[in-house]
Parts: sequence; C-alpha cells; structure tokens
Amino acid sequence: MDENTIFEKVKASVVDALGVDEEEVKPNSALFDDLGAESLDLLDIVFRLEKEFGIKIPRGGIQASALSAEGENLKDEDLVVDGVLTPLGIKKLKESMPEVDPARITDGFRADDIPTLFTVQTFVSIVKKLLEEKGKA
Amino acid sequence: MGIGIDIVEVQRIEQLAEKHESFLARVYTEAEISYCSKKKNRHQHFAARFAAKESVLKALGVGWARDVKWTDIEVVNDALGKPRINAYGEVRRLMEEKNIREILVSLSHTAHYAVASAELVKG
Repeated sequence: MDENTIFEKVKASVVDALGVDEEEVKPNSALFDDLGAESLDLLDIVFRLEKEFGIKIPRGGIQASALSAEGENLKDEDLVVDGVLTPLGIKKLKESMPEVDPARITDGFRADDIPTLFTVQTFVSIVKKLLEEKGKA
Repeated sequence: MGIGIDIVEVQRIEQLAEKHESFLARVYTEAEISYCSKKKNRHQHFAARFAAKESVLKALGVGWARDVKWTDIEVVNDALGKPRINAYGEVRRLMEEKNIREILVSLSHTAHYAVASAELVKG
C-alpha cells in the first residue's frame, strides 16, 4: 500500500474520531495542538487504524520506534531520568520521529509529553512500518 | 517519590467500549473486566480504572517512552473494597529498577467523571 493511500485512510479515521473537517487534516497537523485531540482520542484513532489495516499498534510504539534501551546496550536511565529525557534520549526521540520539527523537542522534554508531538504523519509512518512488517511475516 | 493524577470522562470510556470490540480486553485484565461488569454503573468503574492506569504511568514518569501495556497495571480491591495496584511485565520491571515497593492509588467517580491519583512508595 503506498503512503498516499495510507494517508487517506488515516485521515478518514482522524476525521471520524475527532469530528474535524477533512481540510484540516494535513500530514503535519499535530493531533493535540492543531486538531484538539485529548489522550483518549489517540486510543480511539489507534483502534480505528488497527481495524482498518488489520494491524496491532502497541501503546508505547506509536512513534516509529519506541524510545527503548533494549538491544542497544543502554540502560533506561541513559534515556529518561525522573521522567525527563536525557540529551541522548532527546537525540533518539528526534531520530525516531523525523516527521516532527526538532525544535519542538527541547531540553527538559518530558517522556509524558511525547503524545503532544504526534502528527497525522506519525500515524501514517507507524501504519506503513507495521504493514511492511506484516508483509514480511 | 512520585505522584500522578488523571481525570477521564465516563462517557468517553463507554463510547470506546461500545465502538471498539477490542477495547476492554486491550486495556483491562480479566479480573478488572469481571469486577466492573458486575457493577450497576460499570462504565464509571471502567473509567476510574483507566484513570488509575494513567495516573500510575504519570507517577512512574515514563509515559509513552516505554512499551508498557495497559494490562501491566491492574486495579484490584481488597476485602474492604480498598483499591490496590498489581503490576506486571514492564511496569513490574520499572518498579524493581526504581526500587518502588508499592503503588498506592485512590479512585473517585461520579456519573460524568472519574479521577484517580497514584503515589509511589519506595522500598
């Protein structure tokens, strides 16, 4: 499935879940700030996408790769200390969310605030990645 | 030390549960589903438990960075009805890492809103 087809389907899910106008939903629209979503809306969107695409989106895996220390010989404290991202955590988050303006991920950024970064493109990217993985399986 | 609080609209939980078949199984453990389903205002109880899970995640301060499952946090009630947190999987591992002995939780709900607060107790 090409990215444009995925975007159109993601857009339809976002429109249905949030009750926003189609024209408002652009790839770089931020779910919270631009489209007025709250955290339960994210869950609504996730369930719609899972049904639409036949995939499973893990809670911590909406950003293309979860900010995880696993498999990299890192400890979790290397990435997040007392809920705040370390410089390495910030670097890795920027890498895992290339669709997000890096200027939004500033010093002292909190792990709890990661959902505020989610854009429509974040969901397009995770769907694309999960569909590719499903294709390989 | 860590505390967390969360508020949830009961109606939103009811809508999610009705719209998405997988919602309950994905978010709640079997024991939680069984407990809430027996209650007259089941969606208030589901909403309070959702708020509890969110408040625990806020207290732990790892939010969305780690691959935590909703079902890694379970709210159970003791014989006196007092809610208590059971932690599994990634949350259990986080507690061990951070030397947290116990997570205290308090719930409250009305017809419209459910709130929960959580507090981490160091070992």
